[in-house]
Amino acid sequence: MADIVLKDVSKSYGAVEVLERVNMHIRSGEFIVFLGPSGCGKSTLLRMIAGLEAVNAGEIHIGERRVDNLPPSQRGVAMVFQNYALYPHMSVRQNMSFGLENIGTEKGEIARRVDDAARMLEIGALLDRRPAQLSGGQRQRVAIGRAIVREPQAFLLDEPLSNLDAGLRVRTRVELAQLHQRIGTTMIFVTHDQTEAMTLASRIVVMNNRKVEQIGTPMEVYSRPASRFVAAFVGSPSMNFIPVTGIETGADGLRINVAGAQLATTIRQQPKDKGELTLGVRPESLRVAQDGAGDITGQIALVERLGDRTLVHVTLADGSNVVAEDEGKSTLAAGGPVSLKVDGTATHLFDAAGLAYHAD
Amino acid sequence: MSSEAITRPAENAARLKGDRLIDFGGLALTIVTLGFALMAIFPVYWAVVTSFKSETEVIASGIALWPSRINTEAYEHIWTNTNIGIWYINSFVTSALITAGVIVSSAGCAYALSQLDFPGRRLIYVLILACFMVPMQALIINHFVLMAQFKLLNSWAGIILPQLIVPVTIIVYKQFFDNVPREFREAAQMDGAGHFKTLFRIYLPMNWGITSALAIITFIGAWNSFLWPFLAATGEATMTVPVGITQVKDAYGIVYARQMASAVMAGLPVAVLYLIFQRRVTQAIMLSAGVKG
Repeated sequence: MADIVLKDVSKSYGAVEVLERVNMHIRSGEFIVFLGPSGCGKSTLLRMIAGLEAVNAGEIHIGERRVDNLPPSQRGVAMVFQNYALYPHMSVRQNMSFGLENIGTEKGEIARRVDDAARMLEIGALLDRRPAQLSGGQRQRVAIGRAIVREPQAFLLDEPLSNLDAGLRVRTRVELAQLHQRIGTTMIFVTHDQTEAMTLASRIVVMNNRKVEQIGTPMEVYSRPASRFVAAFVGSPSMNFIPVTGIETGADGLRINVAGAQLATTIRQQPKDKGELTLGVRPESLRVAQDGAGDITGQIALVERLGDRTLVHVTLADGSNVVAEDEGKSTLAAGGPVSLKVDGTATHLFDAAGLAYHAD
Repeated sequence: MSSEAITRPAENAARLKGDRLIDFGGLALTIVTLGFALMAIFPVYWAVVTSFKSETEVIASGIALWPSRINTEAYEHIWTNTNIGIWYINSFVTSALITAGVIVSSAGCAYALSQLDFPGRRLIYVLILACFMVPMQALIINHFVLMAQFKLLNSWAGIILPQLIVPVTIIVYKQFFDNVPREFREAAQMDGAGHFKTLFRIYLPMNWGITSALAIITFIGAWNSFLWPFLAATGEATMTVPVGITQVKDAYGIVYARQMASAVMAGLPVAVLYLIFQRRVTQAIMLSAGVKG
């Protein structure tokens, strides 16, 4: 196991820049998730660490070694591909052995490692089968097994759950988390699914538009998003954004005017750029006031009943659309008025550049 | 709703009742196709039948579709009075080496063109495509002069080398490699396999069907090849079977039964090969059909 350090790593294809000066320090044993929308550069970054893409500028270090000029097989990393890339003409055992044979590992050692990995992943009965004879979940395990037998310093996983159906995806996610706990090797996992990121990661690297927006634990990223992009991308339903019409300084923090109401928040820092400001509040912090005495009122546009809770889509006086939460047994119906209570201690303010200011 | 859709239930009902509807169009097409098939097979049949006739029966007037008595004299003559054994060895060795050479060089070339990024890649591919426009016959004098200068005439190498240029095999392989997801190559890279290992351990075994189909069709082509071996091998010791059978002559002119027997013997290995690997040959023809133009 080893730390992975990226220093000013950049990548471009001709004139098109796909990654811009990425810096990162991944500590040994961490489960890091690269999260971002399609085209943000997360897979490219993973492939650069793997050695499948050349680095145009910057350095990549794995442990004590600088590896950005080394071929993939000499970097001490193993990769699990999105479509698994299991060699179709080889049995599971041959798939898992191939990499070890290439580096001249003894046959006895290969057999031991393959058997150990097969036992760990419960694929012992599948070792003589071909990939075509396996289910999606079994292929996934074999792909992980192929990576495990190499005993790498880090696992690189490129959207490995995206080809699985919903149920299997959840099960495999749990198994992956358990596997990480068991072997403790550094894992870098690429996904655009924020649920996967939140549930698996020790730390999440949120990427957007060629850059790293934020690196933090799942709760840091969720509770204190570094930018409006992060706030919108992480969390489902997404954070609500309401245009701010004025700010006053109160005793406990800023008093923010939105949609004809004034909200008391615990945001203490004055935004540097006071141009176009937006208030951010997550649906669970914007709750339906049962007694009608909320902070802000609006018209119900849609009610979504999820069983344990109800999502209420509300149009505010200024035309903003927000999603608020109500209890599971909510009797609200579309078309009626509603009063919403804002938790001022869970509000965020975003300036025109997208920079965030959080309630304490 | 279309009229077809309306009549279908009626047809189905008729079938259920046991009334048979005759597809006259299909029947006519089958008869015509069968006619063409008979026209194609008849010369082969005639050659085989003639080879088992006595020469007297061959030149007798009228058409005898079956020999009055099975006569193997023609085969005995060919086997004992010609070098057909040597010609078979020559044919087998040259065809096998041409096949191996074409498959290995074409797969390697196609892999490089498909998977590697190097300057001039597109130009090389265009030049290979352009090779289609130059028929073998147009190059034959160049080949002859070149082989003569290398002193390779009347040798296996002289017969083999000019026949190793088969652009269609390169193109078929390239099309296949282009369609292999790049993750396989990347997985092989992560597994520490170089390009040769990736080609021979991953890409080719991934679909042996293509290789075996191309190998069989190349072997058949090399076995049947006449013009170049005819020019390159002038001595009987290096002749291949199709060239050698032109030597089957009699002092008094052509003996048809022997001519036919030698033709049957020349074609027999290929026919057997075709019967064994019929599906693969069809597959190879279909694979190359799209690129032969």
